[in-house]
This record gives sequence, C-alpha cells and structure tokens, in this order.
Amino acid sequence: MKRLLLAVGLLVLLSLLIREGFRTRAPRVFTTTSGRIEMCLACHQERPEKVHAREVVGCSPCHGGDPLRIDKSLAHRGLIKNPADLRVVEKTCGQPTCHPGYPERVKKSLMATNRGIIDTLRRYWGEVPASAPAKRPGETVRELMLSSNTSLALDYFRKLCGTCHLWLEKGKYPGFLGEKGGGCVACHLVPGSKEAKHPVLTRRIPVENCTRCHNRSGRIGLTYQGLYEDEGYGAPLIEGEFGAETLEDGRFVDLIPADLHYKAGLSCADCHLPEETMGDGREYVHFEESVEITCESCHGGQGISRKGRRLSKVIEKNGRLILKDNQGKEHPLKPPDPIKCRHPVHRRLSCQSCHAPRVPQCFGCHVRRDPREKQLDKLAGEETPGAWEEFRSYMRYETPTLGVKGEEVVIIVPG
Amino acid sequence: MVSGVLVSYPFHEDIPLVSTVGLETVIPFGSFWRAFHYYTGQLTFLLLIWHLVEALLNRAEKRRPLWRWAFLVGAFPLVTLALFTGYIIRGDQTGLAAGQIAEHLALKIPWIGILIDRLFFAVSEGIHRAFMAHIYLSLGVLAVSGLWHFRLRALKAEDLSLWAVVGSFLALVLPVGLEAPNFEALLKGPWFFLGVQELLRHLPPFVAGVSFPLIPVLALMGFPLAPRPLALILILWTGSYLILTTMGAVR
Repeated sequence: MKRLLLAVGLLVLLSLLIREGFRTRAPRVFTTTSGRIEMCLACHQERPEKVHAREVVGCSPCHGGDPLRIDKSLAHRGLIKNPADLRVVEKTCGQPTCHPGYPERVKKSLMATNRGIIDTLRRYWGEVPASAPAKRPGETVRELMLSSNTSLALDYFRKLCGTCHLWLEKGKYPGFLGEKGGGCVACHLVPGSKEAKHPVLTRRIPVENCTRCHNRSGRIGLTYQGLYEDEGYGAPLIEGEFGAETLEDGRFVDLIPADLHYKAGLSCADCHLPEETMGDGREYVHFEESVEITCESCHGGQGISRKGRRLSKVIEKNGRLILKDNQGKEHPLKPPDPIKCRHPVHRRLSCQSCHAPRVPQCFGCHVRRDPREKQLDKLAGEETPGAWEEFRSYMRYETPTLGVKGEEVVIIVPG
Repeated sequence: MVSGVLVSYPFHEDIPLVSTVGLETVIPFGSFWRAFHYYTGQLTFLLLIWHLVEALLNRAEKRRPLWRWAFLVGAFPLVTLALFTGYIIRGDQTGLAAGQIAEHLALKIPWIGILIDRLFFAVSEGIHRAFMAHIYLSLGVLAVSGLWHFRLRALKAEDLSLWAVVGSFLALVLPVGLEAPNFEALLKGPWFFLGVQELLRHLPPFVAGVSFPLIPVLALMGFPLAPRPLALILILWTGSYLILTTMGAVR
C-alpha cells in the first residue's frame, strides 16, 4: 500500500510539474478602469473604438466567456461571437449598466417583426380576409423562425424575404447575405482598421448599412444614393454593357441624380429618429404607422415629428434652425417656398409631388413557384420543397403618377 | 492547513478576487495549491460527516461524558463554518452571495446576532472578518482534532498520505469554481448551503436560516440524553435537507 501510494504520489507530482511547465501564465491580473477583472486582455489585443475601449469595458461584458480564467477552454466557455444578436442582447448590449430598454423596443420594431411585409403579402394573396385584424399571432419573423407555420405567401416570405430582418444571425449565409442581420450590429457596425482587429460600433449609421436591406421594392436606398436598378431586361444601355455599376447581389445599376440630402452628406439616420428605427415600444404593423419624420419637421416646422417628438439634431443657431448631422456638419434648414409651396392651389400637394420629378418604377412584377424544386427557407435554415422565381416586365425612370391618398395628393410608384 | 498557509501568502484580503485570480492565473503552481486547498477542505468536511456517522453507529456517545461528547460534536459546526468562510473570501459571485446571505441571517438572531456577524461575516465592510475567521476556525479545528482528539485516536501517516494524493489528483484534473460577478437573477451559494437557500424561499429567514440548521447540531450534542428520538430527528432532517439541496441545485 505504501509503495502504491508513493508511486501514485510521484506520478501526480510529475504531472503537476509537466503541466506547470507547459502552462501559459499571465504577467499580472488585468483590470478595467473600474477595477473589474478582465483576464481576456492577457491574450486578446483587439482594440474596439473609444466608447467601448478595452481598458474601460474589457471583453466579457459583451462577449461573455469567463473573464477570470486564462486557460482557453475555460475562458471561452459561453463565448458569444455576436453580442448584438437579439437572442442574447438583454445580457450584452442591453444589460442594466449599458443600454437598458433598447432590446425590448427593438424586438417590437418593424425591422425585427416584419409584420408589415407579412401582413401585406398574406392580404394581397388572399390568405386572410379583409376584415382580419392586422396584428395576428404567429406572424412575426421570430415566431415563424420557431414554428413550421407556412402557406403560399409565408413560403414566399421565408424564401425570398427571410434575410432582411434583425433576427438573422450575422454570417449565417454566404456572400452578401452574410453581411445582413445580427441584431443591433445590422446598423451599428462598420469595419475597423487592420491594427484594431475589431470592428467599430457607431451611432453614425452609414447609408450602406441601411441599404443592405432597403434596396428592393420601393428601392429607396438606391434612389437616395443616385442609383437606378436597371439591367435593361437584356438590352445593354451603356456602350454595350448592362449598367454603370453592379450591386453586391449582382444587380446592375445606372447612375442618376442623387437625392440632394445625400449630396449634402446626410445619411438616413440623420433624419430618421431612433424611435422610428429602433422602435418606440409599440408594436406597429405597417411602416406608415411607425414613421414619424416628415419633410415639414425640418422645412417650415420647428423640429418636431408628426408624433410630437423633438428632433435632437435640429437646433436653433443665430435665430435660425439648423440640422447638425452625425458627422457634426451643420445644415441650414430652408423653409418651404412661401409662394409655390404655400399657394392655396398647392395646399393638398405632398412635397414629393413636385420635388420627386423622376422616380424609378418597376412594372409587371410577378412570381413563379416550381413545386418540383427545393429552395432554402431562410428562417428555418433548411431547404424545403418549392422554389420561387421573381420576374418583372420592365423598369422605368420617369415622372411618377400622382394620386389621391386621403386628403393629400401623393406620388404613386409601382415597386 | 499546509495548503492554507501557501495560498494565504499571496492573498490580500482587501482585494480578494484579484488575489484569487492572481493565484489562478499568475502565480506558478497557484491554481494547483488553491484547488488542493479546496478539495482537501471538502474532503475534511465529508470525512468528518462519515466519522460522525461511524461514531453514532458505534454508540461512541456511551463511552464519554456528555460535556466531552458535546465538545467533540462541536467540531462539526466549526468545520462547516470554516468551509463556508473559505467560500466567502475568494470574493467571486458565489462568495459574495454566500457572504451577504450569511450576514443577513446572522443579523436575524436575537441579542447575539450582531456579535456573530462581526465575528464571522460583516461582508458589507469587506471580507477581512471572514478571512480572519477562516484562519481562526481552522486553527480551532486543529486544536480540537490535532492536539486533543488525535491523542485518543491517532491519525496514521499512511491515511493522511492517501487523502493528500486524492486531493492532489482532484486538484490536477478538476478546476475549482470561480464565478465572475454578473447580473444573473439566480445566485447559488456553496453546494452544502443550497438546502438553506431553498428553504429561505419558503420560510422566514430566522426559521430557515438559523433554527433549521441548528437542529442537527443540537440533536447531535444532546444525543446521549435521548438517542432514539434524536436519531429519528437526525434521519428526518438529513433526508429533508438532501431533498432541499437537490431542489436548490436543479433550479
């Protein structure tokens, strides 16, 4: 017994010495400026931007893991690659000491629920009666992801629309689809420098982030930047080529005059309020219920949205209203022309009726479903029977039709 | 005891978690000695329970006067408290939670609550008192067991070596828990405290956290007076505590 004990004891001692010999030790205990221990910093050299500086925030409040360990297997337990993913965001970005309240709001926003797209599709395709309530249980992106609920319209949504929402895991699908989604970082992330080894989280949302999704249907993101989607349905337009530029998804675009706000350097988030983009806590069904900003909020108004919210970027300077954009650039706000815009004859005209002289329009939209083929259901992440294909008759860049909506004359654009 | 001296050397009670993490990640062999200290402490506790059961089954109380039996049984709460303060002083989430609960429970004891709190816990002022209590309690256990009890029943070097090897082996293969402070709504204290934590959900703090844990201590001390009814109480208490611990563990 004594010999056995001695042998086992020596074996344990030898193992201990070998383990210690191969073990990486940290030079010191790493702490953040608040004194919180972050041993991740012993190995990781990534440098996020100033607001989330490594010395202040560290790694674990966002990325989880165990900040008290340096053994990789222990330190990386429960690691979160994308802290902004809506599945974990309450514990990361939305934790009580950082950005509380936002996850709850964002999850109710249209970019997370897609209620409007789903409701419109099902209604137009005759799957729900006109009298049905707009807000129906089980018809949000998240609920569809967790269920097998389907129909013709829902199958179409799952396969062709299912990557433009905040619940999509970033990098889940290859190519440009992998850039979409990711919760908060769908908007708030821009590439960082090579030296930083970490992307930059920003409140200055660039237009490119919005147009990753807002580039189809009304194509507002493209038109805003002066891009017109037109492959010419097989008719090369420019010196025998299809278009001046190609989008990430392979579509051809021509250059047209950009929106003057874009030319002035304004991005979408300079005008659109956080309550519109991240939700105001209410669960809307359609975009027009959610949107607050109007042309008059800045031009002729007092920097107040149609829901009575003050626009923080509109400020008074030297007795005049200016808009201070995300880059800090100041833009004087011109009031509407007192003669043209205020003339009684024009009182029912919306601003766009005159200020959008030409608009890209897509005619003859139709789709085809081949039940023999399979296609990827982007919400379920698996291929299911039925492959959809979209067609259109032609694109036009011309004066839009005017129509009456309620009491107002508006532009009517097929998209 | 030996491992306790080794881990207390680089330990600074004013920065407990930094010290514990330093032991784990910076100091050579630190993680081993910390784990060895932890597992030998757990083994001491478990072996003491085993020894108690063994003594009860052999009717050891019959061979001693009541005061001496009660004094020996006193080693059990002493070791439990030493183990408990050991959790507190590591300064992590489990330790903080355990310390805060213990402090609140101590303050629920009438008349002597403040004294007990300031002798063993008072974690709202830091872990200094728990740290010193851990050392004094360990020395107390050594005094009871080493200087007096082991004269009655000698501890063989072979047995001691066996458990040292078991402790070393466990320390080599199983890393000791260390939980970063977090915002989780569910906090769990040391494993042997989970039963009390569970009962605290259902009963007033004084009943769940003071009276209930005192039952086995008093029953053991008074065992020679009424062995049969007190044995029944001990069996019922142990059974119910195991159920409560399981309930607390699976939460």
